[in-house]
Amino acid sequence: MSFRKFRIPLFAYKFYLTGIEFLFLGLLLGPQFLNILDANTCDGLAPVSALLLGWIGMLFGFQFEISKLRRFPRVHFMAGLLESFLTLVVVFGGIYFTLPFIIKISEHMRIALSMVLASAAACTAQTGLAMFSVRQIGKNQSIIKILRYLSSVDGLVAMLAMTPVFIFLPCSTEIAADRFLFGYDIFIAGIIFAVFLVLYNLFLTYRREQSELALIIIGMVIFISGFSSVMNFSPLLSNFFMGVCLVNLTSEKEKIFTTLVSIEKPVYLLLLVFLGSAWHLMSVWAFVAAGGYFVFRFIGKMIGGFSISLLGSKMKEYPAGLGLGLIGQSGLPLAILYDFQQGHPSEITDIVVGIALISISYCDLACPTLVGRLLKKGA
Amino acid sequence: MPDAGGAAFEKRGVMPQVIAKKDHLFSYLLIIVLMGLLGLWIKGVEVETGRQQAGVIIFSLGFVMLSAYVLAQIVRIFNLPLLTGYILAGIIAGPYVSGFLTHAMVGQLRLIDDLALSFIALMAGGELRLRLIAQRAKSIVLSIVFVTIIVIGLVVICIILMGRYFSVTAGFNPISLAIFAILIGVICVARSPSSAIAVIKECEAKGPFTGMILAVTIVTDVLIIIIFTVAMSLSKILMNGGSVIQLTEISGLMFEILASLIVGGILGQLISFYMDRVRRDLLLLLLFVAFAVARLSIGFNHLMEVQYDISLHLEPLLICMSAGFFVQNVSQFGSRFLESLEKMSLPIYALFFSIAGASLNFDSLQLCWPLATIIVVVRMVGLHGGSWLAGTISHDPPVFNRNAWMTYVTQAGVSIGLAQIAARQFPEIGIHLNTVVLAIIAINQIVGPVIFKMALHNVGESSASSTYN
Repeated sequence: MSFRKFRIPLFAYKFYLTGIEFLFLGLLLGPQFLNILDANTCDGLAPVSALLLGWIGMLFGFQFEISKLRRFPRVHFMAGLLESFLTLVVVFGGIYFTLPFIIKISEHMRIALSMVLASAAACTAQTGLAMFSVRQIGKNQSIIKILRYLSSVDGLVAMLAMTPVFIFLPCSTEIAADRFLFGYDIFIAGIIFAVFLVLYNLFLTYRREQSELALIIIGMVIFISGFSSVMNFSPLLSNFFMGVCLVNLTSEKEKIFTTLVSIEKPVYLLLLVFLGSAWHLMSVWAFVAAGGYFVFRFIGKMIGGFSISLLGSKMKEYPAGLGLGLIGQSGLPLAILYDFQQGHPSEITDIVVGIALISISYCDLACPTLVGRLLKKGA
Repeated sequence: MPDAGGAAFEKRGVMPQVIAKKDHLFSYLLIIVLMGLLGLWIKGVEVETGRQQAGVIIFSLGFVMLSAYVLAQIVRIFNLPLLTGYILAGIIAGPYVSGFLTHAMVGQLRLIDDLALSFIALMAGGELRLRLIAQRAKSIVLSIVFVTIIVIGLVVICIILMGRYFSVTAGFNPISLAIFAILIGVICVARSPSSAIAVIKECEAKGPFTGMILAVTIVTDVLIIIIFTVAMSLSKILMNGGSVIQLTEISGLMFEILASLIVGGILGQLISFYMDRVRRDLLLLLLFVAFAVARLSIGFNHLMEVQYDISLHLEPLLICMSAGFFVQNVSQFGSRFLESLEKMSLPIYALFFSIAGASLNFDSLQLCWPLATIIVVVRMVGLHGGSWLAGTISHDPPVFNRNAWMTYVTQAGVSIGLAQIAARQFPEIGIHLNTVVLAIIAINQIVGPVIFKMALHNVGESSASSTYN
């Protein structure tokens, strides 16, 4: 637990602030140590994990309110997509070619896992900025502003890249290989999604108290997550799309957003605990492999950051090494990894997700130093 | 709650209020139709993988939560408690009506159910204020004593006198009938603190009457375990012809209760410490606490039994109640503690009571409804007699004495647990005992919340906000 007055050792401070300690708490509670969160318990808590994923997806979807996005210059939005896309490409390529050297893997799983890891790599979190004083931040307002903006929009590329993985991967399994009902499934899913939208609208027709709204949102998120699992789709993605629709279509968006944000932190920390409990620590080689993933992502972000400065005169004011400020990775990427692990459980998935988690820890550790370097340059 | 336009409209008179209610009703019915269509769709889906199977359960849970909310809003229009709506939704979605939630699914939601119950127990403990209890200590003690004696007495006499007229008990020999009567009589004393706390919260009820009935309900729920153990020993003597009640069993039980209360106290101290030092993410901590208590007490009991051959059973419900009580009465963070719990109370009630509704056994009710109905009525008479007598001796206001029994009718989990224990000990009457208890609970759980709300209203401790406005 993060005791406020408890003085933690300096070396642990970086872990403490990003919430990554909850990942280790999960690991401790999981089957590898205390076994409190054993397989049966996790099965029993499946609705909770579906709620967590759906909640994060919905919350992320709420960031894409078109009227608010328009307040920023279009080039900023393009910059976010570009750096994210370039990172995705670099990491996908790197993982796709190196994965067979680490584990024996089928072709479709190789593509899927590369895409999942690349999607997770494309996202950015700004936890590192919290380590800096107001004075340090004050000198670099424009850089901080663009970093925050980029990190809030670059997850869009990741979410869009994950969609085909969830649509096509179930079709590559033996059960579904000979199914010609694929189009029919998509058609049905579209109709049911529309019904969910109507349901939301009906629930929000009358003014609700905050606690009622919490019940409605929790119920709907679980409902949609269950539907996604039945359709072999992702709870994270379907609630993300629902969030995008709601924020742009309903008048109650502010109240919904307040409700979503009110338990954002517990949701995120619980997700970390769940993810930690499913974390499989294998050999020392996992730490080396995680280093490789970190390097691919670092290269991707640096290329992405550099490319932003080429987007036009407006973007020239930012340093070419902007990528140094985009290394933080916790948040949405963890949800992406957990979502995939829940959706397509296998030994290979566990190994790869385990490696990715180590790499995320590397990123969170390196992030404050790299952001510090960027701010120093910028100043 | 109406929309902004509706609110202005309603101030002008009763007619617009009726229109607003009808308007709401229409949209709720439309929601039910759409959800019904989705329910039909999921029933038709071919489930091929484990993930899809889990998906169906998750889908069903969302479905039940939302339909519980909608039905609660509909029954609220008719001034019935929300709890009735939740239970009704569970019954409709459950195995006996639509079959949308099967027995297996209800079983798979057990952990979530336990988690919700721990949360409710924390809240129930937090609602017990020592100051209020001390003020009405005499009423509380007398009420517990009289209600227990009169209910057991009346139910036992009723079953022994009328047993031969019912198919369920007609075949029993006199000893088996006596054992059956004693055990049912004791189980009839059990209450449902979770239902009590849910109705009290919904009505935003506060005052001496509310404090008293909550204390009586919670303390009775603890005492019933001891009384039941005595009754079991007595039944064994009747069955096997022994002569002395096993004191070791009773002292062992007292030790278990004491241990649970102490563990709860320590937990309460830890929660207070956290609230003092950390002051944030309290909801997350409470969720951890609820989960840890529900999960670890089972693990601990198993460990003690398997590894050390010691039968020490920590009771999660007691631990949570004791922890909540400690935070409320020993630390200075009682109100903040309750505030945090209340944030999530509505979803938790909807979830817990809809699952409870789905778990109600209507096969049992169908089999023995005449006997069950008579026992329910006799129990109500006993509750009324006991609480009236206690109140009169304590010089409580007459309105308290007339209404207190109505708040003691709800019954749930503890009664089922006791019936199952008794059924294992006395297999010759076990199935019948279980069936009758489940039938009694089904009736009490449907009727109980409605008259509970009426009682709070009659006494005047129910807030006006609880009625539909």
